[in-house]
Amino acid sequence: MAINAGSPNAGQKALAASFEAETGAKVVYEAYEAVDWNGFFAKVLTQLAAGVPLDCAYVATEGMQLFSHSGLSMPLDSFVMRDKAELKPYFADIHPLLTECEMYQGSLMMLPTEFNAGDLYYDTTLFEKAGIPRPPDDWTEADFINIVKHWTNVQAVGWDWVVRLWGSWSSWMYANGSNLLTEGKYGGGDWLWSTFYPGQPARSGGWHWGEPTANAPGTVEALQLMIELKQQGISPSPDAGGGGTLQGLFASNHIATTIGGGFWAGGLYEAGMKPNAYDVMYFPKWKVQKHLIGVGGFTVLEKSKNHDLAWEWIKHSTTANAISTVYGPRAPDKGNTSTPARRSVLNAAGYAPTGPKHWDVFYGTLDNYPNTTPIPAPFYYEALATAFLARTTQGFSSGNAQSALNGLQSDLEKLYKA
Amino acid sequence: MSTLSGGPSSSGEARWKILGRRGGRGIEVVLLTAAALIVISPVLWMISTSLRTPAESFNEPPQWIPIHPIFSNYSAVFSNVPFGDFIINSMIVTGLIVIGQLITSSLAGYAFARLRFRGNNIVFWIILATMMVPIQATIIPVFILIKYMHLVDSLTALILPAVVSAFGTFLMRQAFMQMPRDYGEAAIVDGASQWKVFTRVYLQMAWPALATLAVLGFAGYWNEFFRPLIFLNSQSNYTIPLGLVNLQGFMGTGSVSVVLAAVTMALVPNLIVFAFAQKYFVRGISFGGIKG
Amino acid sequence: MPEGRAPGSGSWDIGFGEEARAMVEMATVTRPVSPNGEQRPRTAGTRTAQRRSSLHAGESKMGVLMVIPTVAGIVVFTAGPIVASFALSLFRWNVINNPKFIGLSNYRSLVHDSVVLKAFFTTAIMAVSIVGLQLTLGLVLAIAVERRRGAQLRKLYRAAFFFPLMTSAASISIVMGYIFDDHFGVVNYYLTLLHLPAVPWLGSTVGSVVTVVLVVVWQQLGFTFILFVAALGNVPQELIEASAVDGANSRQRFRKITLPMISPTVLFAAIVGLINSLQIFDQPYIMTQGGPGNATNTVVMTLYEAGFEDLKFGYASAISVFLFVAVLILTAAQFRISRRWVYYSSAEGA
Repeated sequence: MAINAGSPNAGQKALAASFEAETGAKVVYEAYEAVDWNGFFAKVLTQLAAGVPLDCAYVATEGMQLFSHSGLSMPLDSFVMRDKAELKPYFADIHPLLTECEMYQGSLMMLPTEFNAGDLYYDTTLFEKAGIPRPPDDWTEADFINIVKHWTNVQAVGWDWVVRLWGSWSSWMYANGSNLLTEGKYGGGDWLWSTFYPGQPARSGGWHWGEPTANAPGTVEALQLMIELKQQGISPSPDAGGGGTLQGLFASNHIATTIGGGFWAGGLYEAGMKPNAYDVMYFPKWKVQKHLIGVGGFTVLEKSKNHDLAWEWIKHSTTANAISTVYGPRAPDKGNTSTPARRSVLNAAGYAPTGPKHWDVFYGTLDNYPNTTPIPAPFYYEALATAFLARTTQGFSSGNAQSALNGLQSDLEKLYKA
Repeated sequence: MSTLSGGPSSSGEARWKILGRRGGRGIEVVLLTAAALIVISPVLWMISTSLRTPAESFNEPPQWIPIHPIFSNYSAVFSNVPFGDFIINSMIVTGLIVIGQLITSSLAGYAFARLRFRGNNIVFWIILATMMVPIQATIIPVFILIKYMHLVDSLTALILPAVVSAFGTFLMRQAFMQMPRDYGEAAIVDGASQWKVFTRVYLQMAWPALATLAVLGFAGYWNEFFRPLIFLNSQSNYTIPLGLVNLQGFMGTGSVSVVLAAVTMALVPNLIVFAFAQKYFVRGISFGGIKG
Repeated sequence: MPEGRAPGSGSWDIGFGEEARAMVEMATVTRPVSPNGEQRPRTAGTRTAQRRSSLHAGESKMGVLMVIPTVAGIVVFTAGPIVASFALSLFRWNVINNPKFIGLSNYRSLVHDSVVLKAFFTTAIMAVSIVGLQLTLGLVLAIAVERRRGAQLRKLYRAAFFFPLMTSAASISIVMGYIFDDHFGVVNYYLTLLHLPAVPWLGSTVGSVVTVVLVVVWQQLGFTFILFVAALGNVPQELIEASAVDGANSRQRFRKITLPMISPTVLFAAIVGLINSLQIFDQPYIMTQGGPGNATNTVVMTLYEAGFEDLKFGYASAISVFLFVAVLILTAAQFRISRRWVYYSSAEGA
């Protein structure tokens, strides 16, 4: 059975081995690496078009609607209901928000295995030196500005980020009560909510991303804030790309605050940062205190010839042991490469070797903030991301957020109407 | 047409007259040395940073000579990505391409240079003309072709389109054309077949041209990024340049020191070829550019 | 040797130069040793005549067999595809569905596509800047190096300036991306140390273009450098001696003799440099991803994005046709101009 995922780390290899031991089916990882999600999708699509047999694909929020809309992924509804007894404990261990993120037009497309919330990482060493205590959970944007303006020189900056959809000024959009696209919900999904989350109000059939709002005042204000921070020397110009350099800079105490998800814990550890040299906070409140998240999991490809086997793999990948081995504390080589979707897997012992101290913030973002929303990733995500990157960098070099976002609005309108 | 290896062939006296003044003005030397150092400095910085911990990579002032060099970045490269695979893939791709080009170019070059057959000139001119086609202009149809041959994501996809070379054919043809006829004639009189004339007489004399072609081929394909980016999907098939960019990271952990350690290692084969084969490389460049 | 040009490796320039050179040669002074045109030794005797004719037949067959691999390869992977590119540009195809004929629609969209048009413009600006810098620096450094007295010293300098040519554009772009980082890079560090303002190398629209140009020039400098070193060495001594005897001073000698004598090389380097610069991809792809805001988007980048990220094969083919035509024009220009030069100097009877 061929799975497309990133290049397998030791945990994923172990997972494949255990699956083979259980079912006798061999799992082959087809590792497609790309510089960004766009490149990744294009490769998967080309491979499929070339007739390469793939059964499962590992997809995150960025690509979920693309895969669903184009019919690449098949809905899991019938499988889920068929095995509902088996899956009840699983869903009980998964926050319903994560599940909702994996719905599309009333169907469930993936079983979540991991997620990353846009929380705020800060350098405890720099904070201590400047005499700044850990902010309270409900701190505001004004508090944030007061803090980050302490670092404006070459040695350290107050705030840095990377231009991409997750983990950039988009978080400020959310905190300002705005977004790139109009947030909506699909109907349907009751079959899932009533079966697995009884006693809780039913949620929707997935996020529906509507009309672009790129140049709405709230969005413009968010980008303008970033530009001002740069102009005041608090923040450098953001890089494009994957964020590897960002982690390196943060780990070497050149950055005081940045956005990071659970996956940063492992990354910083690898970059040589001590577990108590940094910590994590909720994102500050501007108009609202609202976080963005991305969720990941495996999907069954429609073109696969082994739907049932693929479904078995998906279930296999969602056991507590599996999630812990691949992402969480029990990973053989690198710990904490992402935030486990299963609540039960997160524990203090797991985060002790890598940090952060307040690891409870990860799942707390889901529990304590019901307004947490996924990143805007419609089925035309690729073109959206390209436009987002180009317009954001344009805004920075021109210093004018309004005109850049007017441009983005027209870009997105063309895509939305297409 | 003159082939040059190295510098001017004129005498010392004449050189000064050509170039203007008696040499050795101090300030010129200083500027020249400064220029040379500036040119080399990125590589020096790269090597130096690769020997420092990730936390120290962006230290200011930058330490050109690391105080406590560490080598763990180098091993980290291998545990982060299948770097050994990258090296092997690059070796396979470049090696087979170069060998293929040497074979096809010497065969065709000799035929165009020395053998009579219908259409010799016309076909050669056409091949020559294709030298001006940039690969990006044909990459899409070639990709489609590769796709239909089910070779996407294989090293063959990189090797097959490149085993013939219009430039190589041209180079070898020139080389064979400049060889004296007498040897071949004598061999024929002695009863040798045409094929033997080729293999025993002329091919033996073609080593310098073959070496030049080989070195140019190495430099061209070992460092290639565009075609591997397009044709290779699975990480285990990546060649070195693609692997390096991949190491830089996706959403995650691309520590600068580790990346630079990988880049440093990737530079070693280039340096080796450069050290030993610089002469041929220069010859290849001069081959084209001088109006003799 | 990469067919056409493989971006990022210096050597492909030569391939093109070879072709122009060959065409020049064939058209003018040196008659190529055509196998059919050469005089065969006129020895009498039927035995040798018979041998000759049977050899001749074998020769023909062998010749054809020997060129077949190359011809086949070129037809399948170069000649065929360039025709196919033209054809493909008339379709809309995303690889998953079937291709759909849409005539010149792609071209119509292209001329209205501001991103692609800007990329053409950016590429042109980069090309001119790169070639200008390459020629100037290459010549200045070649002269400076060749004037040094010690042969070992000259070898050392030559190696230093030549060495970047052997590196991979992709690897170097990674390194340069760190070095030119606006905030944490080494270059800005030293600038601020000298009390100069930190330059937004990668973060501003102008700065990023400058950075890409600098990185490309850094790598390709060795090419023009070597060309000029060789060209300078080829200036005929007799002319120089004669003019010295006539009383010309060093500057006059340089301007009136050396420069004109190396001008064909200058032309060659310029055209080849321009053609290569049209194909820039690795450096902006790795360092800036075409940003900020499309500032460093090049023609090949738009081609790559259209074809392999958006999966619009027809549209990408239209872009590649534009690229091919541009290279064709430059090639023809060089051929024309260098033909004139050749006739000029042979008319002079030098």
